[in-house]
Amino acid sequence: MELVRAERRDEAIALILGEFRRKVFGLAYSFLRNREAAQDVAQDVFIKVWRALPGFDGRASLSTWIYTITRNTSLSALRAQRPQSSLSDPDVMAAVDATDDAPPGDTVVEGALLQRLVDQLPTKQRQVIMLFYMEEQSHEDVAAMLAMPVGTVKTLLHRARARLSAAAVK
Amino acid sequence: MSTRDSKLDERLLALFRGLDVGPDFDARLMARLRTESQTDGRERATRARRQESVRHARALSDLQSWRRSMLRLLTLDTLGIGLLLVVAVVTAWPHLDPQVMDGLRQYGLPIVASLGVLLAAAALWMNRADVV
Repeated sequence: MELVRAERRDEAIALILGEFRRKVFGLAYSFLRNREAAQDVAQDVFIKVWRALPGFDGRASLSTWIYTITRNTSLSALRAQRPQSSLSDPDVMAAVDATDDAPPGDTVVEGALLQRLVDQLPTKQRQVIMLFYMEEQSHEDVAAMLAMPVGTVKTLLHRARARLSAAAVK
Repeated sequence: MSTRDSKLDERLLALFRGLDVGPDFDARLMARLRTESQTDGRERATRARRQESVRHARALSDLQSWRRSMLRLLTLDTLGIGLLLVVAVVTAWPHLDPQVMDGLRQYGLPIVASLGVLLAAAALWMNRADVV
């Protein structure tokens, strides 16, 4: 904030970039599920942050502010995108839709299959799983990024893991 | 946490660990920021010029309205009243008491100056009342 007040916006944005680059990209990716689109959104977010920095009054924390911009920009980009073809794969869907009482086992799914299983999770569960494991974030960090209560994040994470675990066993 | 869960954790960590922006992300962003910075400077200059032009136009309009109100006062009636006042003063001047003449000589200038200040204050007050 001192840098912004001192009209050293470029230095401020460099610091912000170092701290939030991956988080902003990850959050955008969790919405868009496309690396290029997420990078474009992340760029737009930092441009918006740079433009709006002089007006940032510090009432909300910097991270809350940046995550809000990221979510809004991601949703706008998502709306602007043409409807994409479904990722659903009958085998994957069958595995993901497996009941929670599937017998436990030690089967480990391959990376590609795991990625597809994650893709098939309900949106919120997918976002939580991705953000939680992307940078080994805390529940609180993920909650701040997605603007949801910590308890909800824990529940979504638990359900997503149970679902993935069951699907992996299948 | 079961072995199965910890294996799943490891797989998920491995899956998302590599997810990051491309190597040219910062360079692209900085290039865009430089462009934005130039555009921002130009926009600010344009905005300042536009504001200054609006201020100038408003000042001109105020001046013209002041002129117009002064010209409105210059009717045949006010000219006639002024002329009558001059004639009255010129006619009465030789018949004034020498004491009054002395008083006028002594205090004439401050009286005229005070009248001028009063008139100017009244005009300013009227102008402000118009603006509000």
